[in-house]
Amino acid sequence: MKTVEFWASLVGAVVVAFVIAVWVPGKPDEKVVYAIEYGALVITFLFGFMVLAGIASGKIDIGRLLEEKGAAGGGASMSRFQLLIFTFVVAISLLLVVVSNHRFPQDIPTGVLTLVGISASTFAVSKGIQSGTGNGNGSDAPAPPSGKVTHTTVVAPPEAGGTVTHTTVVNPPSHAG
Amino acid sequence: MPNVTQLAAGSGIVLLAGFLGVVLWKVTTGDISLDWLLYGDARTSRGAGYSAFFSPGRAQMMAVTVVCAAYFILQVIQDPTKFPEVPNGLIAVLGGSHAAYLGGKAQALYLGRLRNLAALLNRRGP
Repeated sequence: MKTVEFWASLVGAVVVAFVIAVWVPGKPDEKVVYAIEYGALVITFLFGFMVLAGIASGKIDIGRLLEEKGAAGGGASMSRFQLLIFTFVVAISLLLVVVSNHRFPQDIPTGVLTLVGISASTFAVSKGIQSGTGNGNGSDAPAPPSGKVTHTTVVAPPEAGGTVTHTTVVNPPSHAG
Repeated sequence: MPNVTQLAAGSGIVLLAGFLGVVLWKVTTGDISLDWLLYGDARTSRGAGYSAFFSPGRAQMMAVTVVCAAYFILQVIQDPTKFPEVPNGLIAVLGGSHAAYLGGKAQALYLGRLRNLAALLNRRGP
């Protein structure tokens, strides 16, 4: 993470803290609290924005976010898709609750935790099943191809050197993950 | 001086909306592919490889997931002061749906499709 953006975020946070400490009126102990609060907020936001900008510009590739790694054709994974949906739903809900109450909720209902737990467990078990068959995650080796296998052998005449050529065609591969 | 809580909430909204927007944008443009989302791999009848097939387990799980997510987010929008109580029935439906998906996936990958399995058992029968 030693990039220009990283150092810009750090410098930005320090500058904000410095400005608060020097120019904002108030008691010294309150100014220290403000400086730390605003500095942490600035650095957290800028780090998040850095990642967001990287994703948007393509520097951080999330093109395979939903892909079933190692599946026969690299199709999208339903377990990843539902985990993504629930993650966004719960994150948006938490943000709405915090914005509405101006504080973090004191307790998270068991139902919400169960919902998230089911979603994450499904993803984990699905990954386990996929890798357990040797057809999925955890292995970069391609899955065994399916479909017809055609072998062709061509023998050149003796005057042409008598070369023997073997050709194997596998068609079609399977697609889904 | 602006309240730090309001600033934190504002920056959180910007970041979360940004991440959501970028993911939706990439899904829309095809950078994040949803191809074959409803198709699963099944072991072929000879057991030598895998073939793709339309998976009802994936379809029902997608439907249940969308319904549960919509229910949850609508409840929060109606009363954003607290997390909604999720009915036990909804949790049971979601759990059952996910269990059916996982069971179907394990069966397809380890044993092959049900119709192939049935045909194999018929051939081996008396």
